[in-house]
Order: sequence, then structure tokens, then C-alpha cells
Amino acid sequence: MEISRDAYRAIEDIVGPDNVTDDPALLDSYAFEVMAETVRPDQSHFMPRPWAAVLPGSTEEVLAVTRVCNKYKIKLKPISTGWYHWAAPLIDNEPTIQFDLRRMNRILEIDEKNRFAIIEPYVIGAQLQAEVMKRGLNFSIIGAGSSCSVLASACAYSGVGPGAYNMGGNAEALLGQEWVTPGGEIIRTGSLSSGCGWFCSEGPGPSLRGITRGVFGSRGGLGTFTKCAIKLSHYPGPPVMEAQGRLPGYRLPIHENFRVYTIGAPDWDAWANCYHEIYDNRIGYIFHKQFGFAGANIAPAMWLNYIDPTKTLNDVETALKDPEIQKVIEEARISFQFVMAGNSTDDIQLQDKILDAILANTGCYKVKRYCEQDFAEFTNMYMQRLGHKHCNYVWVGGYLGSWMQPGTPDFVKKYAPIAVKTFERDQKSHLLVECGGDALMGPGSPIPGGGQTALEQFVSYDSADRESIKAAIKHMEDAVVDEAANGLPPGKESIYLQVGWPQEKVFDAWAKMPQQFILNFQRKIKAAFDPNNLGDRNYQWLPEGWGQKKPVEAKPTEPPK
Amino acid sequence: MPLEDLRLDAMRCTRCAYCKWIPFDLVKSWRFSKGCPSIEYGKFHSYSAGGRLITALSLLEGRSTVTEKVIDTVFKCTLCGQCDVSCKMCRYDLEPLADMRELRSTLVQDGHELLQLKPVLEGLRTEFNMLGQSKKLRGNWIADLQIKDLTKEKAKIVFHAGCRYSFDGELGHVARTAVKILQKADVDFGIMGKQENCCGGHAYDMGYRQDFRTRADFNLRAWSEAGVDTVITPCSDCYFAFKRLYTAEAGSTIKVIHMVEFVDRLIKAGQLKLTKPVPMTVTYHDPCHLGRQGETYVPWAGVEKKIFGQAVCYEPPRPRYNGAFGIYEPPRDVLKAIPGLELVEMERIKEAGWCCGAGGGASQAYPEFSRWTATERIEEAKSTGAEAIVSACPWCERNFLDATSGNGTNMKVLDIMELVEQAL
Amino acid sequence: METKREELIAIVGAENVADDAQTLESYSRDQSFVAPRKPWFVVRPQNAEEVTALVIWANETGTPLVPVSSGPPHFHGDTVPSLPEAVIVDLSRMKAIKRIDFRNKVAVIEPGVTYSELEPALAKEGLRISRPLLPRINKSVIGSLLERQPTLIPRFNYSMPEPLRACGVVWGTGELAFTGEAGMGPLSLEAQWQAGGVQIDSKGPMSTDLMRLLTGAQGSMGIVIWASIKCELIPSVHKYLFVPGEKLEDLVDFCYQLERLRVGDEVFLLNGAQLATMLGAHSIDMQVLKQDLPNWVVVVGLAGAAYYPKERVEVQEKEVKRLGSEFGVEVLGALPGIPNAEIINAIAACSGEPYWKLKLKGGCQDIFFLTTLDKSTQFVKTMFAVAEALKYPTSDIGVYIQPQHHGVSQHVEFNLPYDPTNLKEVAMVKEIHTKASEALIEQGAYFSRPYGVWADLVYSRDATATRVLRTVKDIVDPRNVLNPGKLCF
Repeated sequence: MEISRDAYRAIEDIVGPDNVTDDPALLDSYAFEVMAETVRPDQSHFMPRPWAAVLPGSTEEVLAVTRVCNKYKIKLKPISTGWYHWAAPLIDNEPTIQFDLRRMNRILEIDEKNRFAIIEPYVIGAQLQAEVMKRGLNFSIIGAGSSCSVLASACAYSGVGPGAYNMGGNAEALLGQEWVTPGGEIIRTGSLSSGCGWFCSEGPGPSLRGITRGVFGSRGGLGTFTKCAIKLSHYPGPPVMEAQGRLPGYRLPIHENFRVYTIGAPDWDAWANCYHEIYDNRIGYIFHKQFGFAGANIAPAMWLNYIDPTKTLNDVETALKDPEIQKVIEEARISFQFVMAGNSTDDIQLQDKILDAILANTGCYKVKRYCEQDFAEFTNMYMQRLGHKHCNYVWVGGYLGSWMQPGTPDFVKKYAPIAVKTFERDQKSHLLVECGGDALMGPGSPIPGGGQTALEQFVSYDSADRESIKAAIKHMEDAVVDEAANGLPPGKESIYLQVGWPQEKVFDAWAKMPQQFILNFQRKIKAAFDPNNLGDRNYQWLPEGWGQKKPVEAKPTEPPK
Repeated sequence: MPLEDLRLDAMRCTRCAYCKWIPFDLVKSWRFSKGCPSIEYGKFHSYSAGGRLITALSLLEGRSTVTEKVIDTVFKCTLCGQCDVSCKMCRYDLEPLADMRELRSTLVQDGHELLQLKPVLEGLRTEFNMLGQSKKLRGNWIADLQIKDLTKEKAKIVFHAGCRYSFDGELGHVARTAVKILQKADVDFGIMGKQENCCGGHAYDMGYRQDFRTRADFNLRAWSEAGVDTVITPCSDCYFAFKRLYTAEAGSTIKVIHMVEFVDRLIKAGQLKLTKPVPMTVTYHDPCHLGRQGETYVPWAGVEKKIFGQAVCYEPPRPRYNGAFGIYEPPRDVLKAIPGLELVEMERIKEAGWCCGAGGGASQAYPEFSRWTATERIEEAKSTGAEAIVSACPWCERNFLDATSGNGTNMKVLDIMELVEQAL
Repeated sequence: METKREELIAIVGAENVADDAQTLESYSRDQSFVAPRKPWFVVRPQNAEEVTALVIWANETGTPLVPVSSGPPHFHGDTVPSLPEAVIVDLSRMKAIKRIDFRNKVAVIEPGVTYSELEPALAKEGLRISRPLLPRINKSVIGSLLERQPTLIPRFNYSMPEPLRACGVVWGTGELAFTGEAGMGPLSLEAQWQAGGVQIDSKGPMSTDLMRLLTGAQGSMGIVIWASIKCELIPSVHKYLFVPGEKLEDLVDFCYQLERLRVGDEVFLLNGAQLATMLGAHSIDMQVLKQDLPNWVVVVGLAGAAYYPKERVEVQEKEVKRLGSEFGVEVLGALPGIPNAEIINAIAACSGEPYWKLKLKGGCQDIFFLTTLDKSTQFVKTMFAVAEALKYPTSDIGVYIQPQHHGVSQHVEFNLPYDPTNLKEVAMVKEIHTKASEALIEQGAYFSRPYGVWADLVYSRDATATRVLRTVKDIVDPRNVLNPGKLCF
């Protein structure tokens, strides 16, 4: 299906001919997305193809193209670094253009004194961190890693990661922002709205930003965020990360103000207690159950292999025969990575003492091999820069996350064993990577200061093998059933599955939510800021009356007035 | 390799976009974080390695056809291999660089050639060089040097100058310098003189496998007849061709040494003494084909196998080329051995070095893109405060010279051999 | 009116409906210069059902409702009806502390719970919350947090509404819905607790931060019937340091670094007049104190809780002293002549009666806004210049600067005491309030909480915010029954 020539020409006039394309192969580079194969017919790797891809270079160009889209009723879907099937268009044969925001890639300002940076959408975590660290500052890089857009995580997605516990996630770090609505207006929020600069995200009066993101944002479904300011935190480490050694396992020497540990727990109760004591004692800088995602039965073999540049995955099998590796596997079975940072030697030494007291009190311990210098330095590099997150796919190119219901450590420790057992069951098909039932990963606390965690099951499958993909889909479907059977709300997998559902099925599911207020609210926000329905259902809403006893005419592509 | 052979990699690509950047652990600034000249210039995702894998899949599935735009995305790339390094930070199963080479080769075989490259290939076929010059002029760089002629005599070592040094008047002196160093070190070597042929490496990268093979066969035969078991070259592109492509594609067992490796050995063995100070601040540019693509090729014939149910590995284990063991230290050791010389490093070095812009046919087919890429590198060199950018490849040096000429840039462009000569 | 009375009685009971003259008078005005207006009724609901019924009734009858949760005196005009025939919804009967969860450090309370009630209850469990400066004894915790009144501990202020987390809300439509993570579960706190939920994540639900739409709203979006509040451990060691300065400029760099390093719990800046007003028992006392106190002082509370409390305080104290040396400021363990216990009481307690701001002269006008620390000195100069030009005794102006959001935002507050029985003083202070507000906003002061006259100043300059807020208001309160006439509504 083709974009109208008039629309194309209008867009070309705005961004220039080099910055718009409707070549099918180029468009397929946007349709192709990870996990598409789990929701598309015939396990296709392609989501619906956009009708054009546009590279705007400024807010003005975004605005102008948005207005063209309004005129020609073309949906628009912005992405920055984009890394999930929901980043692509969602509905087949629906006129949609994809905004690729890579030309908007500048760090506009770093106000070191007042600790914030103003950025455009295509500034990635690694870039921003490198620049702010020169000034002794830092922010929380999201769990998906430093290859991802900082702005997207703050304005439009989730924004949580291993550093959120100490520094706040990007939702908490978000200050002023600039938003081009699908309806074609520019809205600035917080102090920026009042012309007072970027420093404050609240107000004036009620906080305008309340309509742009909650626990997550609109994920490209309600317009384009073109600038934002991010609050920065003090960084007591060196101004430049000098990675050492050979790839892939670069190492970052541990600064004297830092400590890097992997903490193991004998059981889930001890794990939960340890988390609570960490929260109460207010220590910790980066806090994440990270390395276990590769599967507790084999992860240590994989990681210790990984840091040796002469090794391949073949060597992981061999390594498992080593009794020393088996010891590490047992020790690290329930474990998490914990980086501490102090303002001074006294500070970090005290934090060390406090940690030791916590471990003594909870029965947890430092995982010896992981705390040795080589692996600790690798952990330091990994956890601070989060530049290895593509390792999520290390086994074979397919990974999805299931479970991950957020809650207190006591809540999560109850479902963790269930997730482990059911995943073990699912691996018996041999169509998923058999890493053991515990491939759980999650932040120490995605909310700052502690109090909540979540564990995601990492399900690895061969994205080039139909049967393996089907097994992955079955795992997700079974997870929904397992969760319901155990009185748990649906996990992350249900969000993934819904991407492939027809609109009506999605509405039916949302209509079952215990509180409908938010969906009705968001419907009305959409009607106000997206009158021509250019945004997709990544911004969630429910047609009026859907799911109630009286039959309602479904107009899935038009929000009710 | 037919396009179908790319399918697995294409389906296992996750669109993580790591292929666009240097390894994130190595990022030290916003400015010098980018890894891929092609995506930086072309912007659409198809200009990245991951994007090209998707293009392959799209073509395979009949979702699209080869258009001018597709050709542009496939060929506007220097095949520098930065994407390969970054992808392999986390993946043991993907081969993006090899896949991109296959894609080119397939397109060329299917008749989708770049018009701009046709005269270059014509020149290769008739004049046996990549610069479109008469083959009669090859060897002119030797001038009055007395060097064993391997078309008439035998030696175990052949010095292969390469097309760029042979025909580029501005750069030929580097080959002369290299030869003089070998002579000073009493190395028994010879040259093919006018009979020296292009290594064929560029043709390979441009997608012309047959042309590459013709050159490779010729060179290997000529060397065999001359009793050669080792080739020394000052050109990194030739180095890569001989070390990797000849081994993989033509079964070569010839030992391959870059001039800079050889000089490093001589210095460390005490056979070459660098005593004259060269008071200069320089920065070193790692040529892609010496650095991250300079690892030794180990022949492998095997199959994919799965462990732990679905995890991919290979039987027998497949060698891994990810730039971890590229030739990075010898050139630096040589520079550090030069008295009075100060080496300051750019941010993107070794396996993360930004390409000069010359490779993959880019300088011939897309001179603006090639020039832009080189200019980016010169800017990075300037940021170190160095007076000169030093390399070990004439194609890099030519591109840097072109990027710095006529625009008031003070940055000198030098080859390591020139500095060695000054220190002798 | 009689019908309305009957209808209200039917909802809350006769003993909870008041329309006697004295009661109506007490709600018709406050300490601000907002024009007084008498409500018709004051009702005091007990629970969510009654609040819901009230809102539905208000929609049916087109009656403005003005939610009030704190006791008097009020200062900002937000509790004074803007329209006639209004009904005050006094939430002070809703006093339940529904839950104190020590393990998860969350308390769930109703809107009528005051600091003076919550803090002792938390203390019994070994907990505390980050509190505002010297709140009055009848100040509602929820009311304070909803209005983003600044709290004293910047390092816990990961976002400005902290420690407010989730809320149960009767929206202007009469619908009951929860915010934050509570918005995704069943519409019952008990059911959520049963399932292990503790209402600790403030964000959401989904792509909206409903809680943020309630903050700074002056009760115009919904009536909060419960809120979850993040608690902290009570420190077993707690001491204060004082960093005096001749001029505010002398302290700015020190404050920047202190806040950047997140050293200390309580961190705030007062001028001498403010401190004197807080400490003094009566006017003369305050005038005497003012002469002895430093012109400016940074107050730094050092707290140690959980493991090694003493060492925590020691390490922090060392750091503060190091910063003092670095920035050339003195760090004192006490203010000369003032027993620490008095200061601690002034910081850690609730205000006695009369409310401390009123002690000097009987009345007080506040001007406050947000800015960055580097601009605060300029704004102080502006404020003082305006006051001086109008012959106000500038030595009476109290200044309070509270770092928020880890110090990235600074709440700057000026308190202008005056005699409310002296008409000349009233006129002068009114004029100062207006002129200073205009001058400050021109210079870029961010009036993020636009009470009274500030509403027009802010929204007349900010068409976008006006449009967006009206859109939201149209959704959650389409009949504009909740505190109409406030903000831009």
C-alpha cells in the first residue's frame, strides 16, 4: 500500500528528499522488530510496514509533518533507538509513517551547577553518561541498556534500571519536556511551560506531565517528544570510564570510592530480607539481579567464559563439567549485583560495614568467584555502563520476558519459585534454551529509595526456528494461565502478546481491568490531543461502554467523541 | 554464498542497533561514540549492518526488490567491520560483516552493479590495479633501488607494495622507505616489480568475487614459482587480502606480515635501532584491515549445532573474529620506540577505530561519503592536539590527505614508515 | 436551600451539616487577600461513600464543593469559595490511620490525619516521614503533600510530590478510582493488601500519573479519601549543624555541593528573621533574637538509623565540615546563645498556638515560588527592594529556602508579617504582595503553586498550561463542581 503522492511530496518539502523514503526494503527495516515473530502470522519477523519513513531534524519539522499527517489522515509512529515489536506500526494496511528521530541527536545543554541535561530524542545513554561523567555527574541508565534513547525512556517508556534505586528512574529524573501532540501542537510541561527554564517537572498547578506518562509513557502512541531535561546526580567516580582488557569482557577498575559485589542468598526468604535491609539502610548505588538472566543452571559458566576472549559458547558446555564452576552455580543461584559508591573513603568503608552487618543478619553472602578482581571489574563495567544488554540474546537471538509483576520483595519471592517451576516444565520441550528454571532478572528497586522489585523470566528461543518460536509463544500463554491459577496478575508477557491481538480482543482484555477509570480518562485525553486518531494503541484507551452489558459498536480506529 | 545463507542471521538479528556504535564500554564522549559511517551518513536504518540483514530477509521473502535505493544502502558502506565488533560484543552466532559482503556479491552476480565501479573493475581486469593506471607504470616507485626481481630470481619473502603505493605518486616514497628498512635489516626478499598484481581485496569487497579470485590465483602462482613462503606488505588492505581472503577463499598457506609488524620485531630483536629524535606529537589511526580485521584466519568447515536445547554453537567450534586480537600493539610499540615522539590516542582506537572512509569501494563509488568519513576522523585526530595523524595503510593516508587538502587544516598525514625512517 | 440541607443531611447526617453564621464565617475568608465569600454549608463526611455521594449530589445540583482537610488558619485562598452557594467539604473527620506497614515503610491515611496525629503514631512503630517546616498542629498530611508543600529532607525527595505515593480519589465526576499502582488493582485497599499490594509506587496507572494531576490542584480535580505515604526509619542518632553566613551569596556554593552530595537529612536555609520568628515565644523575644542570630543560616540535620547510626552521623559530620573548609564557611554545632533543644523543637515539632508565622504581628503574607539556587539571591534582592520601596521593615521579612528534588529545584519563600488590624499595614502588604509577585514572575520565578492572584499571573502567561489543564478538568470534573474559580478554572 502506498502513501499518497501529495502527502509524500508535502513531507519531502518539509524534511528534504534525502530524509523521507517509501522504498519497500528501507521501510522493512522499520517493520522488522524483535519479537515480531511471536505475534505475526506465520511467525513473520515483520510487523506491519510503515508507508513511509521520515527523518525530521527539528521540532518544527516534526510539527509540520504531523500537520501533514492530520491533513491526510496518516497515522504516525515515532521511534528513537526503537527495540521492541511495539515500536513498529501495529495494524496492517493502515496508513502510517514512522518518524525515525535519529537526526535529532544533540545534547543541547548540560547545566552542571543545577544538575540537569537537556537532550533530543536520539541521545543514547552511553553518550549522555560519558558527557555528564566528565562533570562528575550521572543518571540511571535503563535496564535495556546504554544503547537506548534517554528521552524515550523518560517521556514515552518506562525508564527504570539498576540505578533507579539510588538516583531515581527516568520518570523521577524527568524535568521539563517538549511534546508535539498528534493533533499538531507543541506542549511544554513543568517550568518550561511557564517560560522559567527546564528545571522543574511539576505544575503549574497540577503537573501537566501527569498526562504524558505514568508508570510508562505513551510508547509512540500519542505524539512525539522532541526535547526533555533530565535531572543528574552526583558521581563520585572518575571523569572518564577507562575500560581495560579485551572485548567482549571489558573491565573497569574499581575506584576507591566504590565497591562491587555479587551477593548470594540461600533462599528466597533471605533474598527478600536482604533487599529490605538494604532499603532500610540506604546503601547501594547500582542494585540489580542481573547475571542470572542467562539461567541459574548455566549462567556462571557462560559469564566466566564470556570474560575470556579466546572462548566461544562451545566452551560453556565444557566448563559445566568443572566442579569449581558447579560450586559457583550453586552459590550464585539466587544472587544479585550490588555496586556501592561513597562520597569519601570513610563513607564507603562505613557502607561496607553496614553491608556486612546486613549479610550477617540475613544469611546472605558475597559470591566468592564473582567478587574476585577480574569478574568484579567486569561487573563494574557492565553494571555502570550497561553496554552489554544485547547479551539478553546471547544464546540464539530470541529472548522474551515473562512474569515481572512488580511488588514488594515479599510479593515477588512468592511468585519467583512458581515462575522457576513452570519454566522448568516448559523447557522439557527442548524448544527453549534449557538454562534451568531460574532465569530471573530484575532491578533491586525500580522506584527510588527502595520498596519494590520485580523479576522477569528470561526465555531464550531460536528466532529463526518456527517450532522454537511457537514454544516461546506457548510459554507466554501458559504463563498467563499459571499466573491466574496462582492468583497473580498477568505479567510482562501479556503486554507482548497483546501486540498481536486484533483491536477488539485488546479492548475486551482491558475491559476486564478492575478499574476502568484510567482507560476512559485516556480515551478522552486522546480525543483532545489526537482528534484524528493518528496515534496507535500503545497509548491505551477503551471505547465508551466497551465490555458493558449493552452491545457497543466498536469503532476501533476512532476514539468516541 | 547465496542470499538464502543469510536468512538465519537475518532472523536472529534483534535490531538492537549496537552495529551503529562503538562498543558502549568505550564511549568517552557524545562526539566520538559513533561507529558506523554508513548509518551516520545515510541515516535510515537500512544503512546499518542490522538494516542490511533486514534488506536481505526482505528480498528473500519477496517483500521488496533491488532498487536504486537498496543498492545505495548496500554499497554505501566501507565494510570497516566496526558493526561486526560491536555485534559480537554480545553475540557468538552472527557474522554481520561477512553477511554484508555476501549480500554485495549476490547483488553483483545478479547484475546489480554500481556504474561508478565499472571502470575500476575494467582497470583491474586489464591493467591489474585499482587506480586505473597503466600496468606499465607499476614498479616505477622502485626507481633506482636495487631489489631482487622475483620474476627472475627466488626468495622466501616477497615485498608487495600494493596498488596505492605503486601508483600514487604522493605516497610511493613510503614503499621505498619500507624497502630501505628491509635492506638495512639485511632481509633477503624480492619484489614482483612490474609483474606485481593487485591483491584483489578491493574487488572482493566490491562484490566481484571472480575478479578477486583471478588476482589471488595469479599472485599465489607467481609467488610459488618464486619460492616465496612469506609476503611482507606496507598496505593494510593487501595485508587483509593475503592473510584472510587468500586463506579462506584460495587455500593459501603463505605467511603474511605487515611491514609495521616486521619493524616491530626488528626493533625488539635489536636489529633496528631508532636513535634520532623525532620531536612530534602524533596520533595513530588503526587501519580497519590491520586492526580489527587483521586477525589470523583459521580455516573452518563445520556445521551449526545446538546445545542446551536451542543455544547455537558449532561443530567443530568456529573461530571467532571480533577484533579482540587485531594488530594494535605493534604499530604503537614502534611509535613508542621513536625517541622524542609523543603518541596521543584518539577516543576511538583499536577495535573501535573510526574508519578512514576509503574501503569497500566507497572512495571510488561514493567520494562525498568517503570524504565525509575521513573528515570525521581528522576532526577526531585534531581533538587530541596531535600535529599528525599516522597510519599504516596508504588508502587511509590517501583519504586523509584528500580530506585535509585545500581547507586550511594543519594536520599532517604520515605513514609509520616515514617516522621510522626519520628516527634511523 | 432547605432542600439542599435535607439532601446533605441524608448523606452525612444532621450533626455533620453546619450552616450557622459563625461556622460559615470561619470558612468564608482566610489569611490571604483572596476576596471573602461565604459558603452555604459546611459538611463533614466520614468515609469514601459519603464523599462520593456528595460529589454526585454536587453534579446533580450544580453546587460548588470546596474540599478542606486542614484546620485553620488557612493562608492561600484555596479554601475560600470562589463562587456562591458553595459547600465546604471538611474532611477533618476522616482521621483513620488505616495502616502502618513497617516492613514496607508505607503508611495509609485519610485526609483528616494531621502531622500531630500521624507522627506520634509512626514513632511508636519506629518510623517517621519527611515533613514540612513547622506545620501547624491541625495541618493535614495529605493536604500538605497534595499541595506540594516542600519537605525538609532533600535526599528523600526523588520527585517533588514525595513522600506522597498513591491515592484513593473521588473524582469530580463522582467516580472513585485509585492512582499509582493502586489504580491497577481491585477498588479496595483491603483486597489489594490481601493480594500483597502496598500502594508504594506513585506512578500510573498506565500512561498517566493521576496523582500528579491532583497535586497543586487546590482540590479542583478530585477529593482524596486516602493516600499512601512513604515512611523512613526513625533515627536513633540525630543532631543538627548550623552554617551561618553574612550574606546569602556566601552560602550558595556550600549549599550546592552539600545538596549535590546528598549529605544530611534535613537541609534548608533561613534568614535570621525567619529563625527568630520560629524560635521566639512572642514579638519582643523575636526582635531580640533577630539581633543575635546570624543573617543567614543553613540548617543541616544529620541522622543515623538502622545499622551503625553513630558512625553514619560521624561520617556525615566530617563531610559537612570538610565542605565548610572548602567553601570558607563555619560549621557550628549550635547557634550562639540558642539551646539546641529549642531549635530542634522548632524544626521537629508542630507549631504551637498561635501558628508561628502569626506570632510576630498577628498576620502574615507568603510569597513563594520555585527556582534554581543560583537565581535565589537575585530574587531575594528583588523582594527586599520592593518591600523597601513601599516602606516595609525589611528586617521583618522571613526567608526560607528549601531544596527540593535533590536540590535541582529550590522553594524560595518570603514571609511578610504584618498587623491585620492595622489598615495601613494591610494595604501596604497587599501592594507589596502584588508588586513583588509581578516583579518576581517577570524575572523568571516559577510560581508552580498558583494560589490567589498568582493564578492569573501564571495562566495569563501560559496559554498552553491553561489549555491542557482545562482539558483535564473537563474530563475529571466536567461540571466544574470542585473548587471552581481556582487556578484557570
